[in-house]
Amino acid sequence: MRKNESNMKNRSLAGKLSNESYLNRVMFLVLITLFAIASMTIKNYFSTATALNLVANNWYIVILGVGVTFLLVSGHLDMSVGGIVAMAGVLSAYFCQPANEGFSELGQGLGMPYGVAILLTLLCCLVIGALNALFIAKMRVASIIVTLGTMSIARGIGQVAALGAQRSAGLPDIFGVIGNVPLFGPIKIAAAIAALLVIAALFIEKKTSFGRRTYLIGANREAARLSGVKVERHIALLYLLSSLLAGITGILLASEMKAGISTRGSGFEFSALVVTLLGGASIDGGVGSVLGMVIGAMILGVVSSAAYGMLLRPEWQFILKAIVTFLAIIAQRYLLDRRNK
Amino acid sequence: MEANVLEIKGLVKDYPGVRAVNEVSFEIKRNVVHCLVGENGAGKSTLIKILTGACERTCGEILLNGAEYCARNPKDAREKGISTLYQELNVVDQLTVEENLTLGLEDTFCGFLRKTDKVKKIIAVLKDLEPNINPKERVGRLSVAKKQIIEIAKAVAAETEIIIMDEPTAALSESEINRLFTIIKRLREKGVTVIYISHRLDEIFTLGDYVTVMRDGKHVATKPISEVQDRSELVQLMIGRTVIESYIPKETQAEEPLLELRNVCNHKLRDISLTVNRGEIVGFYGLIGAGKTELARAIYGADDYSGEILLHGEKLGGTPEKAIRAGIALVPEERRTQGLFTLLTIKHNISAMNLKKISNLGLINTTRERNAAKSYIGQLNIKTDSMDKETSKLSGGNQQKVVFSKCLFANADLLILDEPTRGIDVGAKAEIYSIVRELVAKGKTIMFFSSELPEILNSCDRIFLLYEGEIKAELRNGNDINSQDIIHIVTGGAAS
Repeated sequence: MRKNESNMKNRSLAGKLSNESYLNRVMFLVLITLFAIASMTIKNYFSTATALNLVANNWYIVILGVGVTFLLVSGHLDMSVGGIVAMAGVLSAYFCQPANEGFSELGQGLGMPYGVAILLTLLCCLVIGALNALFIAKMRVASIIVTLGTMSIARGIGQVAALGAQRSAGLPDIFGVIGNVPLFGPIKIAAAIAALLVIAALFIEKKTSFGRRTYLIGANREAARLSGVKVERHIALLYLLSSLLAGITGILLASEMKAGISTRGSGFEFSALVVTLLGGASIDGGVGSVLGMVIGAMILGVVSSAAYGMLLRPEWQFILKAIVTFLAIIAQRYLLDRRNK
Repeated sequence: MEANVLEIKGLVKDYPGVRAVNEVSFEIKRNVVHCLVGENGAGKSTLIKILTGACERTCGEILLNGAEYCARNPKDAREKGISTLYQELNVVDQLTVEENLTLGLEDTFCGFLRKTDKVKKIIAVLKDLEPNINPKERVGRLSVAKKQIIEIAKAVAAETEIIIMDEPTAALSESEINRLFTIIKRLREKGVTVIYISHRLDEIFTLGDYVTVMRDGKHVATKPISEVQDRSELVQLMIGRTVIESYIPKETQAEEPLLELRNVCNHKLRDISLTVNRGEIVGFYGLIGAGKTELARAIYGADDYSGEILLHGEKLGGTPEKAIRAGIALVPEERRTQGLFTLLTIKHNISAMNLKKISNLGLINTTRERNAAKSYIGQLNIKTDSMDKETSKLSGGNQQKVVFSKCLFANADLLILDEPTRGIDVGAKAEIYSIVRELVAKGKTIMFFSSELPEILNSCDRIFLLYEGEIKAELRNGNDINSQDIIHIVTGGAAS
């Protein structure tokens, strides 16, 4: 595999599979097994359409999962992403609705060109990220408390700006374009954007010093500081990144529906956290991977679609998802403990 | 009743690779203040841990009131009559004094607390010891000294026979110490035996009836304080004839100052000024709590300070990140919590302090990282089958070598070593000393902070003695150095 194959000493020091690759393989096996079970028990489940739908219906969790994974690896939670999705959707609509149309209050916007509206929306999302950064990185308040707060703030801004409903009247045609460019079948351009982000994130995570510092901070914040890592600045950057990704997700989802809906994205923060944990990340930091998170998202996707296929009433989906998540995470702990004994 | 409340016979405690307590035998008389002294690592703490049930003895016998005594855990020890006042106090800040005193002893009636005679008795004991504590006061608002008294009262009320006090005065002010001494004397009147451990020798002369000296895990002497002539006799017993074998005085070179401290102060340090020259090994010796770690961390920029710290004549920036860039690296005191990323692999640990060296424009070159790891595993003889092994799986000595590798990879000119041999076995210690010497031979400068005198004497060219955050003396190492004088100074005696 490596160039200097002849160097025996080097090879003997290379060692066995890391815990991370081991877990990723295990979870991939779980994904295949679940898919196989679903294919055997549900008629017509095993099809290209199912596979494509898996991608088409889960891309947004994957984008959010990227930011959440980096933060979790650094030892921090981000519960604000769902709220930011809602806020971004509503604001992007509000900014480019016509200024003086006078349909109703909900049709009244700021009349900006779509490009400007997007930039301004992302800026607003970054402000939420900056709030997270200020309280968590600088003032060292527990991340769960701060991000639950900013989740409410962001969702609240969305609610206020959409008067508790949605903004769709009078939107320019261009608003609905970016979320609806078809690629093939049910897959639209948003899924491709998610794929590109994942590839970039995989690269950053494993091949850059930025990614490495994230692991160092999560593994031992004090040791990282004493090793010269600018810990506060790094955590601040991670929160800004996560809020930006949530903003992008919100804009894409609003474009897809051609409406800024203030209730959008509820529960997304939990899904993003769950898929990250399914991917083998540790809630204490230092462990986790983007690849694992993607596999986790696929597992959750298979479970939901299988539940749908089994004609389970949608209410039951929550419980089914919870059971699968618990089993998977308990199995992970068990396997890792046995392996590292 | 027996004259001896406690008899220890042939007590041994083995840890992997080291015998911490070696055939210790002595007696403690009833109703006295019995002091226990010795250098750090002499075996005092291990002995106490066995008495309190925090660890198991390897062999030997302990008799309490003439009957075989064996505590399974601290609670068991307390029930059998041995209570301990730890440095880390065992009180609940959120509760009131009264609630703390009766914690675990509450009587209830239908789930409601009842104020029984038992409770009244405990409060009476507290009133007797220290009338100035209001039982309704929240404990979090009390000083450390008062919290100690609450713990003592709890022990007395439980009719304990022996109270062990581990450095009880470490965090107290002068007047609080005097009050504690009064209380200890009153305890003696009440028939309680106190085992008193302190590094401050003066306290032992003020307070003690008997003293036991330990050294290298062995019992050296037990005698009445009245038979001890002066503190220098005690110091002599504590260190014995420490032979300085391996220090070889260096040729005096032209002195080129590398690091300069001017009037450095902070919460612990008091007006520290000193110069470290290029190519020196400078030792900093003092007992636990003398301010060694605080000084090391201030120089590294890990803690705040006032005053000036200059490297090559230029002021340092005051953060670890800037210190590393200026050419300083720190091997911290707590290996597992401050030095090492135990979740991560050896190779990721080694590169952590200098990611620039293995990357171009933020992209990590993994070949360079592997080569660096391979080279340090070889150079420092880190025993592992793989550089991809998590460092949590290594032994203490090998973990410390990984931390050293990390600092060396940072290309530091000045290495600050804070207790670099703590918790590692004798063989690894020797390896660490030889690494230190090699580094100096390669032109590095070392600041060596330690609370073990022999290692300071065997490695350092110059030695600063610290006591209570101050530099009390500066010595040049050599044949004429007198370890008794050193112990005299670091235990609070006046410098001669």
